[in-house]
Amino acid sequence: MTSPNNPMIMEEVEDPIANSTEVFKIAASRQYAGYDYSQQGRFVPPDMMQPQQPYTGQIFQPTQAYTPAAPQPFYGNSFEDEPPLLEELGINFDHIWQKTLTVLHPLKEVDGSIMNETDLAGPMIFCLAFGATLLLAGKIQFGYVYGISAIGCLGMFCLLNLMSMTGVSFGCVASVLGYCLLPMILLSSFAVIFSLQGMLGIILTAGIIGWCSFSASKIFISALAMERQQLLVAYPCALLYGVFALISVF
Amino acid sequence: MADPHQLFDDTSSAQSRGYRAQQAASGLGYPATSTLPQAAFLADPVSNMAMAYGSSLAAQGKELVDKNIDRFIPVTKLKYYFAVDTVYVGKKLGLLVFPYLHQDWEVQYQQDTPVAPRFDVNAPDLYIPAMAFITYILVAGLALGTQDRFSPDLLGLQASSALAWLALEVVAILLSLYLVTVNTDLTTIDLVAFLGYKYVGMIGGVLMGLLFGKMGYYLVLGWCCVSIFVFMIRTLRLKILAQAAAEGVPVRGARNQLRMYLTMAVAAAQPLLMYWLTFHLVR
Repeated sequence: MTSPNNPMIMEEVEDPIANSTEVFKIAASRQYAGYDYSQQGRFVPPDMMQPQQPYTGQIFQPTQAYTPAAPQPFYGNSFEDEPPLLEELGINFDHIWQKTLTVLHPLKEVDGSIMNETDLAGPMIFCLAFGATLLLAGKIQFGYVYGISAIGCLGMFCLLNLMSMTGVSFGCVASVLGYCLLPMILLSSFAVIFSLQGMLGIILTAGIIGWCSFSASKIFISALAMERQQLLVAYPCALLYGVFALISVF
Repeated sequence: MADPHQLFDDTSSAQSRGYRAQQAASGLGYPATSTLPQAAFLADPVSNMAMAYGSSLAAQGKELVDKNIDRFIPVTKLKYYFAVDTVYVGKKLGLLVFPYLHQDWEVQYQQDTPVAPRFDVNAPDLYIPAMAFITYILVAGLALGTQDRFSPDLLGLQASSALAWLALEVVAILLSLYLVTVNTDLTTIDLVAFLGYKYVGMIGGVLMGLLFGKMGYYLVLGWCCVSIFVFMIRTLRLKILAQAAAEGVPVRGARNQLRMYLTMAVAAAQPLLMYWLTFHLVR
């Protein structure tokens, strides 16, 4: 970074950088421990993905005696060595599709380990889709959708931690509740075409709320091994999805 | 030419010390000048340092919260009140609406600690009050919505007013228990649980009011008020009154009379609050 003429600058700048990046890497690895990055190598902070630095000038030349003993730098010197973007972000479309199918078959037995990897990309897509279908019906209420999801996830997180023997992480709760929002998207797309305020609409709404909360409680029960509490877990889920349905209908 | 990012990569690993030693060795005696490229480069590490500091601070904060959460919210004690199952909830709801046939109101003990609510229908729990409270807020929103008086901030208003009344009740009862110098094993959380049971009746009343108008509301609310009165008397009697009085033997003495009045006052406050918090929702 400096020319051989200006090593003083190098020395002043380097120490805080060394400490900070070391701390940053440790913090990043701890923070993202729950994510399935095992196949990718280390996490790359987005700021390092800059294009070439604008300065030309004196670039530091490493001395001959220095040889990097570490394994190859994470994204060596060429663009092609970097892993694909989706893989880095942890978005795995195949997994998302698997989990979606699990939610859509409420009567199928679910495996408890399905939610071991907390994946928020799928739920994000579903939230956006829900907001988009509401937009099609003329209701600009993205804010309410996000706000209610956040409060609902927080409440569910506290409740499940108090009710179960093993605890849950917030990411797991958010992930499950987000995936089970899918039938609600069907409801709001109906609302675009037909009005839901008649008897048929009420029956359809009740059915969809039941479907969503049944799937969510089924996944929670199997993931947390809570016996004889399925209805107790389904009730708060039904309240949460009921609020979403309220937004769709009214 | 060295990749500028290589600087960040190298200095965070073990061999960076060797690298830096190299720099120090070769760097002595050079004058320090600041040219434009270095200034632009300096802006980056500062922001990166700030980001690294921020994320380390966040990680430390999370650890601090995890270690100290037990001091402010007794999580393990709360877990006892949520150890419920579906059968218990069903029986308890039935008891809240029809307490007249239930005979034995004692909580069973197991080696000095009360048994979990799962195993004894008389034990207080916090699942029903919490769910009932949230349902009450949503039903209030629904009721206001059908009268075209709904707006989302009204939900917050209802929630905070109900919470405020609950807190006031708890404080008033704790204060009177203190003044009457009763030695009970009635903890604050127990009290919150008992006072939260009235929301079940309130929800029933408001729903009936929505479906059948004022007549339905008054009928159901009246029934629930009487039930909750009886329920509270029978439950609190065992907690507040002296053992002998609880068994039905009339015990003389001003102190027991005072305790009896206190129990009746607490039980009578429930129907009053039930009516106060719901009458404006049903037109």
